[in-house]
Amino acid sequence: MTTLWDTTGTAVVKALAAERRVSGAASGLVLTLVVVTDEAQVEATEQAATQAASQHPCRVLVVVRRQTAAPEPRLDAEVSIGGRLGPGEAVVMRMYGRLGLHAESVVLPLLASDAPVVTWWFGEPPDLIAHDPLGVLAGRRITDVQNLTDPRAGLIARAHDYSSGDTDLAWTRTTPWRSVLAGAYDAVTGRPTEARVVAEPSSPSAALLAAWLGGRLNLDVRIDDHRGPGIAEVHLQVDGGPGAEGTDISLVRDSEHSGRLARTGEPDRTMPLPRAEHGDLLAEELRRLEPDPVYAAALGRLAGLGDLADRAAIRSHIWRDPAEQAAAHG
Amino acid sequence: MQLSNPSNPLRDPRDRRLPRVPDPCALVVFGVTGDLARKKLIPAVYDLGNRGLLPPGFALLGFARRDWDHGEFEELAREAARKGARTPWRPEAWTRIADAVRFVPGSFDDDDAFDTLAQTLIELEASHGIGGNAAFYLSIPPAAFPTVLKQMRRTGMASNDAAGGWRRVVVEKPFGYNLASSRELNTLVDEVFTPGDVFRIDHYLGKETVQNLLALRFANTLFEPIWNSHYVDSVQITMAEDVGIGSRAGFYDGAGAARDVLQNHLLQLLALTAMEEPVSFDAESLRIEKKKVLEAISLPTDLATGTVRGRYTQGWLAGSRVSGYLAEEGVPAASRTETYAAVRLGVETRRWGGVPFYLRTGKRLPRRVTEIAVILSKAPHLPFDATATTELGNNQLVIRVQPDEGITLRFGSKVPGSAMEVRDVSMDFLYGEAFTEGSPEAYERLMLDVLLGDATLFPRNEEVEAAWKVVDPIEEFWAEGGHPEDYRAGEWGPRSAEAMLAREGRGWRRP
Repeated sequence: MTTLWDTTGTAVVKALAAERRVSGAASGLVLTLVVVTDEAQVEATEQAATQAASQHPCRVLVVVRRQTAAPEPRLDAEVSIGGRLGPGEAVVMRMYGRLGLHAESVVLPLLASDAPVVTWWFGEPPDLIAHDPLGVLAGRRITDVQNLTDPRAGLIARAHDYSSGDTDLAWTRTTPWRSVLAGAYDAVTGRPTEARVVAEPSSPSAALLAAWLGGRLNLDVRIDDHRGPGIAEVHLQVDGGPGAEGTDISLVRDSEHSGRLARTGEPDRTMPLPRAEHGDLLAEELRRLEPDPVYAAALGRLAGLGDLADRAAIRSHIWRDPAEQAAAHG
Repeated sequence: MQLSNPSNPLRDPRDRRLPRVPDPCALVVFGVTGDLARKKLIPAVYDLGNRGLLPPGFALLGFARRDWDHGEFEELAREAARKGARTPWRPEAWTRIADAVRFVPGSFDDDDAFDTLAQTLIELEASHGIGGNAAFYLSIPPAAFPTVLKQMRRTGMASNDAAGGWRRVVVEKPFGYNLASSRELNTLVDEVFTPGDVFRIDHYLGKETVQNLLALRFANTLFEPIWNSHYVDSVQITMAEDVGIGSRAGFYDGAGAARDVLQNHLLQLLALTAMEEPVSFDAESLRIEKKKVLEAISLPTDLATGTVRGRYTQGWLAGSRVSGYLAEEGVPAASRTETYAAVRLGVETRRWGGVPFYLRTGKRLPRRVTEIAVILSKAPHLPFDATATTELGNNQLVIRVQPDEGITLRFGSKVPGSAMEVRDVSMDFLYGEAFTEGSPEAYERLMLDVLLGDATLFPRNEEVEAAWKVVDPIEEFWAEGGHPEDYRAGEWGPRSAEAMLAREGRGWRRP
């Protein structure tokens, strides 16, 4: 591990190359993961990135923006390979002052050559991804609206800002629910007549799940309130099947790991429904690097914008200076 | 019966996050107390369940000659799963499976036991919603196959129609003892089950690297143009084991290395290396191409010089003294069984005419390794001084199947310095480094394929028979006389194996 205080981007590139020589590091890098976070959450970020990197070896670049108003720009960096940040290569960079607004100048030369770039905002996502140059240089962008005070509004904003290759962890959290429901639906034939999601009112995942079900089944899906956390129950009704009144499918979370699947005419089953941690969610996102059209469709329906899948994948940076904004507001 | 809904609106081929989950079904394991079941099958079931890949209606049935009840079996299965699982152990994940674990005690000739088994399957349909679907895993000695298969026919368990669902059977190697016995076995199995429902497991085909061989060849433009006799000098396929025969003398002494490994694993690897591009990636197209290659294999004209058999003697391996084959427990003193086999094969097609395929396998070799080495021809002309390239060998592309799954490319590179000197260097791709996402165990993958009904990774009947046609003449020649040549445990095989390649100006690669 090499720690560099008050350094330059060039020195960080050199330190990484030196670490690679010493440790005989791998050439098999398949992607670079850029994580944007703040000082308070560095530890949680590192933990999640380490967990994901142990499944998908990648170069992890953690960018911590600090005190953007500080008068002197400054860069501190920590370079490690096969160290505390998992088996891969990791660089943790703290950027002070206006350097934070030009983080890409340090990050660009550190990207693994010709490998895909994934940017993940650990905390609040930017209002517009184009405002952050670290989002513009990535082919895949991961946000988490759960971290916003109003996650549902955050989702709408994501929909307006959507471009191919965006994804949100609120969507990733629905995967276990969607797998069990799709599996249960394999066994029924007939027309869907009703679908209902029961969840915490603010849950963005519930909204996405409902939008997905609605879009796929061509129904309006109601969301009933529950204290949560997150999604508690999903109920589907289909006409036809074993019962004369149709078939009911319901999936009710009964523990942190599992849910009870009940179907008309079938014995109840306990199905895996894990509440995944950040690292697992991130690992699922890194498994596939192509755009997710199913998410685009659900998000578009949720915001009433139609299918978003044909939005362009490339953004151009829109300059925004927080100092000017603060001045305008002040 | 439960029909899969092919028009399930919740499924979308573009939705890559949702896994393929099999239909509701039961997995019935015969010989569930055996090593394979405990070390591989039960852990694989747990891993599948833990990854959410088992259907809502699923049951695991064990059948064996033990006086157990469901509870005792459940305990054994849990212990086996906990010890052998690849994914983290989570008691609640096991609880989901444990609820549907059943045990039926009995011997294979016991009519009552099979009636109970059939009855249990019917009961599970109601209590666990498994539909009429069941896969039967025959983890039993081949000698017991006829009895078990007859029992299944008698009870109607093997019939898709009677069950109102699918019924599949999984058979482990050895698939017979020679062509005749393999045909007999195939006829027997195909009589009881529909041929398309028979899954022959060659666990090598479940390994990620073997599947990656197809990706390497057919998804890239880099390799296919050189994949022929214009550029390839020879191919070496090695499967080496450091272990001896352990307690398997009874089986092994009647089979030998050629029947145990060469007939199935090595010839399957050869087929995948040498076959033409299949028109699509489904089971049928793959089978057609593999069968074509297997039928194009030619044996050496002189079997005495083109084949080698060896037998390990006492020696040192990995720092400990190990005994010779004849001293292993249960091996008859007059045994002529080989523990090492090497053979030079040809593939008589336009693509491969004249390229030798050297296959070797053995026990008590220095380390456990399986690899396919494609050795390229030397450059026709080298514009350097003769002294500059003395250390330059053939370019090689090596596919490491296990361990350290990956690909190595060896090529010449200039040694830094003022003089021109070219030496071999390696470029390494390590599978585990690019994707450490825990590769599923071969059995886990193959078991899932059986339940999904995907036969792509399973050798079919015709391939097995074509492979016996290669091995039978060798076995017959060996049976005529002579003895396996001794090699010391911990050596890379007998001297004549080296001589076989040296005669043609080549040498074995040290894996």
